[in-house]
Amino acid sequence: MLLAYCFFILPAQAERGAIMEKIIELKNISKSFDGETVLDHISLDIYDNEFITLLGPSGCGKTTLLRMIGGFANPDEGDILFMGERLNDTPPHKRNVNTVFQKYALFPHLNVFENVAFPLRERGVKKAEIKEQVMKMLSLVMLEGFAERSVTSLSGGQQQRVAIARALINHPKVLLLDEPLGALDLKLRKDMQQELKKIQKSTGITFVFVTHDQEEALSMSDTIVVLSEGRIQQIGTPTDIYNEPVNAFVADFIGESNILDGVMPENFKARFSGHTFSCLDKDFAPGEPVDVVVRPEDVDIVPKDEGMLSGVVTQVTFMGVHNEIIVDIGGFKWMIQTTESVNVGEHIGISLDPDAIHIMKKSKYSGVFGDYSSYSNELDELSDPGGEE
Amino acid sequence: MQKKEPRLNGGRAGALLAPYSLWSLIFILVPLVFVAYYAFTDESFRFTTENITRFFTATSNLKADDGTVSEVRTYLVIFSRSFKLALISTLICLVLGYPMAYIMARAKVRTQKTMMTLVMIPMWMNFLIRTYAWMTILQDTGILNNFLTGLGLPVVRIIGTETAVVIGMVYDFFPYMILPIYSIMAKMDVKLLEAARDLGCNGFGVLKRVIFPLSLPGVISGVTMVLIPSISTFYISQKLGNGKFFLIGDAIEGQYIANNLHFAAAIAFIMMVILLVFMGVFRYLTSKVVSGGE
Repeated sequence: MLLAYCFFILPAQAERGAIMEKIIELKNISKSFDGETVLDHISLDIYDNEFITLLGPSGCGKTTLLRMIGGFANPDEGDILFMGERLNDTPPHKRNVNTVFQKYALFPHLNVFENVAFPLRERGVKKAEIKEQVMKMLSLVMLEGFAERSVTSLSGGQQQRVAIARALINHPKVLLLDEPLGALDLKLRKDMQQELKKIQKSTGITFVFVTHDQEEALSMSDTIVVLSEGRIQQIGTPTDIYNEPVNAFVADFIGESNILDGVMPENFKARFSGHTFSCLDKDFAPGEPVDVVVRPEDVDIVPKDEGMLSGVVTQVTFMGVHNEIIVDIGGFKWMIQTTESVNVGEHIGISLDPDAIHIMKKSKYSGVFGDYSSYSNELDELSDPGGEE
Repeated sequence: MQKKEPRLNGGRAGALLAPYSLWSLIFILVPLVFVAYYAFTDESFRFTTENITRFFTATSNLKADDGTVSEVRTYLVIFSRSFKLALISTLICLVLGYPMAYIMARAKVRTQKTMMTLVMIPMWMNFLIRTYAWMTILQDTGILNNFLTGLGLPVVRIIGTETAVVIGMVYDFFPYMILPIYSIMAKMDVKLLEAARDLGCNGFGVLKRVIFPLSLPGVISGVTMVLIPSISTFYISQKLGNGKFFLIGDAIEGQYIANNLHFAAAIAFIMMVILLVFMGVFRYLTSKVVSGGE
């Protein structure tokens, strides 16, 4: 795993470092609540002007990490540096960081204008200037004409925009966003994703975005930090994370994956499901046990006799652009996404190109995810914590 | 975010409301009408404003501490005295109760329950008994003075002073101040306080710009619930004030016992009007604080 890490992650980090300067450094952060470890020696650099996403299932520590940067939680161990200076004991109101809270936390006793003007009034900005700045900010989030409205009369999407305007009006160096889109419906969420990305680009403010939604993370981020059980599993660009997951957890969490047990008999060769495949991975010990990831869209369906492996189709789900099929190959249920149409009970062969196979070192997550034997879309939705309501 | 309450259709809602409407009619509206009716009629139930004018014009001689005698408008003096003592008690309750409600709302659940019980316990006792208890504490030869003389300190005279009346009022009505403020503060979203800090407020700023404006509805009901009973109390002033501070409640009671029902009703009616106006102004002012931003 370490080699894979050096190979794939460090270049990404080095590249980020070369163009941009570090704005926040988290050094060896640990935190536990009631004896339960929430963050376990986290180190992370956040660069100026980037859109970075902390991604993980609920309870992985991502929100706690965000709260630490905002000043609402203190690490038990480790340091938070802001532009090189230690920030641990600085109270929230003295940090050049603002937060968009999960359920917006708009002040119900103030109208839209006064909510956005709140930080300016605290700083004693002149009246005329407040008006000018608030109006400018409201137009940035496309809420002109809403200034006098009560915040409780707004829709979820509009409240969201007020919260963003309020958090941006102080021109913070860093904007923290705690699952800000979680309460919106799917369509609105997609629109807001685009808009947030646009706002981030146009303001040049560093966005630290917390979500459990991997699609959201993939579509918005410059950098994704995958967290599980208080540890960073992987840091990288969305393509890195998707194409080169470092372990079974990341492979399973980001997108759909067939994760199989295998061995590396030699460089560029992987053996699993009773067949030896060519692959692009090397630098493993001869005969080393590994986890093999094959993404469902990378599997080619071929006639039964021409396949490297073959099996029986047990389930076909029409998804619109493609069919999602489950194939039983030697007792392991594979998920395959294909535009071809096959029928349940059909015997098919599959073929894998070398670049469809990704090899990972064994980790504590090996073997915990299983195959797609119990898979259904419905269950996937249900187990999605805090998703669409 | 906002959930729509399912609305009952007109007919069914009306049917369900009927018992409560009837209850309000019999026990709230009818007595009020009677009070007004009595206030504006004489012994033989003919319309008159005499009772009302009597409240404003009746005079009596007041002997000041230095022995000088002056003629004053009896009921206006009584009323302003009642109002003053009630206002002082309400303010003390607010100043003591507000921070306590805040601390309670932010405490651990178990501490909250304990504190709540402590606030409520005195209310389980009859308030006459509570008032007698204060008599034994505050008397010239009471517990407090025994304690003070035991320490070699001089005796303090509290019983029979306005201070004693205020102490009694604060003690009796304090829970009515704490409970509404506490229930509002306990419901307050902690995220709002975090948001205020995030946006640049220090601790005092959060209190001034978020906690206080949001808790105002609780303050309003607390003030109402303390001010009104303390302005009309008569028992506390009789027992702890040694009957020296004739309050508006005493006046009403006295007129009632003397069988002057019409004048008693007039005093009650005038007091109600004054209180309504006062609370209206109070509400208006506080609502300006809330929505005015700065």
